[in-house]
Amino acid sequence: MVPLSKRKSLNISLLSKYAIFLLYSSGLLCFPLFTHAQNLKDTLRLPEFEFKSNFIIDNQGFKRVKMDSTLFIPNLSADLSTILSEHSSIFIKSYGNGTLATPSFRGTSAQHTQVEWNGINLNSPMLGQMDFSQVPVAQFDGLEILYGAAGISRTSGAFGGVIDLVTMPDWNNRFKAYLAQTIASFGNYVTNFNVAAGGRSFQSHTKVNYASAVNNFPYTNDFGDVVSQQNASYTAFGLSQELFWKVKDRHLFSAKIWYSRDDRNLPPTTQDDPQKIETLKDKALRGVVEYKLVESKWNLLVRSALNDQYMKYTNNVLELESVHQFYSWINRARFSYSGVRNLTIRPGVDFVYDRVNSDEYQGIKTRTTTSLFTEINYNITPKLKSSLVLRDDLIDGKFSPLIPALGVEYRPADKINLAFSANLARNYRSPTLNELYWKNSGNPDLAPETNYSIEVGSTYNFRSRNNLFYLEASLAGYYSWIYDMIVWTPIEGSGLFIPQNVSEILARGIELGLNLNGTVWGFDVGMKNNYNFCRSTYEKASSGFDNKIGKQQLYIPVNTFNTTISIERWNYYFNYNFTFTGDRFTGVENNSLMPGYNLSNIFIGKNIHIKHFILSLQIDINNLFNLDYQSIKNRPMPGINGAFTIKLAFSGTNRP
Amino acid sequence: MKKIRCLIYNFTVLCSLIVLSILPSACSKDPIREKIITPPDTTKVATYENGIFIVNEGNYNWGNASVTYLDNKDNTVIQDIFNKSNNRSLGDVAESMTISGNLGYLLINNSNRIEVVSLKDFKSVSTITGLHSPRYLEVVDSSKAYATNLQNYISVINLKTNTVSSTIQTTSWTENLIRYDRFMLVTSIGRFSEPTAVRKAQILVIDTQTDAIVDSIQSGKEPIGIVIDKKQKVWVLCSGGYDNFEAPSLLRINPELRVIEKVFTFPDPKAVPSRLCMNPTGDTIYFLMGGVYQMPVTSAALPAQPLIRPEGRLFYGLNIHPATGRIYVSDAKDYVQNGTAYQYDVTGSLVKSYTTGRIPGSFCFTKNSTK
Repeated sequence: MVPLSKRKSLNISLLSKYAIFLLYSSGLLCFPLFTHAQNLKDTLRLPEFEFKSNFIIDNQGFKRVKMDSTLFIPNLSADLSTILSEHSSIFIKSYGNGTLATPSFRGTSAQHTQVEWNGINLNSPMLGQMDFSQVPVAQFDGLEILYGAAGISRTSGAFGGVIDLVTMPDWNNRFKAYLAQTIASFGNYVTNFNVAAGGRSFQSHTKVNYASAVNNFPYTNDFGDVVSQQNASYTAFGLSQELFWKVKDRHLFSAKIWYSRDDRNLPPTTQDDPQKIETLKDKALRGVVEYKLVESKWNLLVRSALNDQYMKYTNNVLELESVHQFYSWINRARFSYSGVRNLTIRPGVDFVYDRVNSDEYQGIKTRTTTSLFTEINYNITPKLKSSLVLRDDLIDGKFSPLIPALGVEYRPADKINLAFSANLARNYRSPTLNELYWKNSGNPDLAPETNYSIEVGSTYNFRSRNNLFYLEASLAGYYSWIYDMIVWTPIEGSGLFIPQNVSEILARGIELGLNLNGTVWGFDVGMKNNYNFCRSTYEKASSGFDNKIGKQQLYIPVNTFNTTISIERWNYYFNYNFTFTGDRFTGVENNSLMPGYNLSNIFIGKNIHIKHFILSLQIDINNLFNLDYQSIKNRPMPGINGAFTIKLAFSGTNRP
Repeated sequence: MKKIRCLIYNFTVLCSLIVLSILPSACSKDPIREKIITPPDTTKVATYENGIFIVNEGNYNWGNASVTYLDNKDNTVIQDIFNKSNNRSLGDVAESMTISGNLGYLLINNSNRIEVVSLKDFKSVSTITGLHSPRYLEVVDSSKAYATNLQNYISVINLKTNTVSSTIQTTSWTENLIRYDRFMLVTSIGRFSEPTAVRKAQILVIDTQTDAIVDSIQSGKEPIGIVIDKKQKVWVLCSGGYDNFEAPSLLRINPELRVIEKVFTFPDPKAVPSRLCMNPTGDTIYFLMGGVYQMPVTSAALPAQPLIRPEGRLFYGLNIHPATGRIYVSDAKDYVQNGTAYQYDVTGSLVKSYTTGRIPGSFCFTKNSTK
């Protein structure tokens, strides 16, 4: 539980929801008990204004940003990459419509962003990264972004940060369900079905998603001809079942299972032979059981999860077929004690066992990681709080160096909701299993990558007394060094690429966020903005002939900006999203670049209430101005395209 | 209350201002494609008939292959001449270039095509399709050429019509080739989908009059280079396998008897030689193995020391000027920036260096190239 003093110190002129929200996000342990207070009715309704802060300085000095269901509901057919590129400061490198999308978070590589689903790390232990196009929005209820060192409370190696996907029960619910069908351009269809049922102590939640896409969008090729994208079709299926059981508000049991299956053709570049057919089949089964015990002065969490994934890649030109299978057994135990005034101690232990059977490895490879973890939160004064996080990984019997993170938070005024924060951390990323064991090129002698980071930030929010206007702002600056960065390096005279600890990166940047909500002439108007400045440069050359020192990393934009404007009235809703992606260099010597571009997407919808049913109709128009663009060289992107969604929701039996 | 109203007003104005400022900029109609910032290249060359082409492979699946031209007359270096003349990308992974008459044949490996260009202006004359990861092309006569593929066939190209006229079936993938008398000697490296132990390594002997495989010679794993010396002996360089399956070797073959006369085995299986070349007088062999190695054909042993040390460079392409005998070697650096090509004289002293495109892999000299 969060100490009472923390609650008092908050400016409670804010809505209590805000306080609850902060509490929810302040601890791993306490959230399910508060969710009943959180108004989750809206998980089945369309966006209504929820006055709560999205910018959180928490863990005393670490930055987090939360996105909730109000954002996901009108974007049910989207995937994680779309949500993040339109609404966060994380840059998503997309290889095309519905195909591979990887993150660059605070100027880092894809391996430096970890994705968790209910505490299970989804990043493949082989590749160390995650394809964000394969995570459908419909499969989770909330999302939280842990920036930089904030991620150390979850895992090591997330120099960029952690993206946490959560599902949560609504204890007030008796029965609710929806069925949604999206029909989009280029033969793309998405179906979502969702049913939640239960009572005050038991809830069941079932989610089914199915997408199939021909994805043969037209584009202009080098010869100036308009041609259709080839070999870009896919089908994706997901099914999840979650059970939550609460006993006397003290014991919470949950069991969750998520099966997903993706069958994709990988689209060629504009320079490929159209006869080339590359395919990727993925199957994943994730299961997690969890127990939480909440006492007045202490909490306990125990979790055990299994992640079983199968991947098959084929390439007809290279006559290649390669199969990879891995299992991860992920266990976590956390204890939290707040019996001493102003002090909370959260020790914990994680145990992960990875087992990989890959055509590209010589034999079966395993890895055992045991992590010891402690978080100490101490309130020096009611206005000044501090937090110390310590983590140490024991990988296959070998201790990695200590991972420490220290954060402080200062709230100078009682009446003004303004906070300043700072943190300092050292972090390590252990090599991925591919980097260690890939046939003929894995390098078992690799050392972990090292990261030192400092960060300062501030958040502010203001609400007018009549609740008609709300503003929140966030500012953060970071400075982060990565040493011994692992890069697949060509080896002189061998024609092979071998991963080596050769690179050094300095990433520094500024993140600005400004959210405004208001009611103007009866219209609910909202606006959310994110601006991100990021210089991520090479600091070490491979030889005296290599001129990359001080140059911006490949495909990482210096400037990105996005804004979303939403307007709602009479059950109509309108949303305009604008994304600016700055220039991205295509060579490390920064001699060539992909020019920046602006993208605009809109949607407009109507909710029709018929007794306990809500019928929603929505039209989306993407790439509104029909921009002919490429985000990555020779990877075509679609011009203007649209979607129509019809959704029927039943939600009548909530308790008052 | 006034303050609040004021805020709301400002908020509305702000929203509208932002929307208004976004809309015009969002309406840009220019396609968003890669832009080259430096070097700014305004050079104009009338023809490409007297110079050296550096074929830059580009990154696999990035589609950034290009050709750099070194002009002999006015000593200029021009980047990406294909794009300049044709206003489109050369393709994905340009493997090699061969000249026949006034035409250049560029084999674009991952685009599965051969771009035929006129040396007069480098404009595309024809695009030959129907190949499968083409590697190298060798001219038989003015009307016929063979192209190797990473597939079980060799493509026979009709140089008059610039089409694939027929194919020669093989049992595995083919790599390099050279003409000897009326035969074409083709190195065959096996299928990469098979383990190196079972991959076939042989030199196929093809009768160019009948397009039939008439004989084969077993070799070390992965024969990747083939040249002929002044005594008409054929030299074959075998890498030993990309996975260091066996020690690399250099073979001397008598093409008349079709037997291996001599085998030089490299001492270190991890140091892999590549880019076998012959000087114009046919008495000295060159290859890359980290540095540039030079070896007289009469030598009894492999050279112990390189002629040109890499000194931190990643030597990737090598060729010997057919007129001057000078050594052209390229540095691919870290593969994600533009490379550099170096010209050395036969003693190994540096003459000149040139900036190239991404991953410079091979050199092609025009017939009357004199420098």
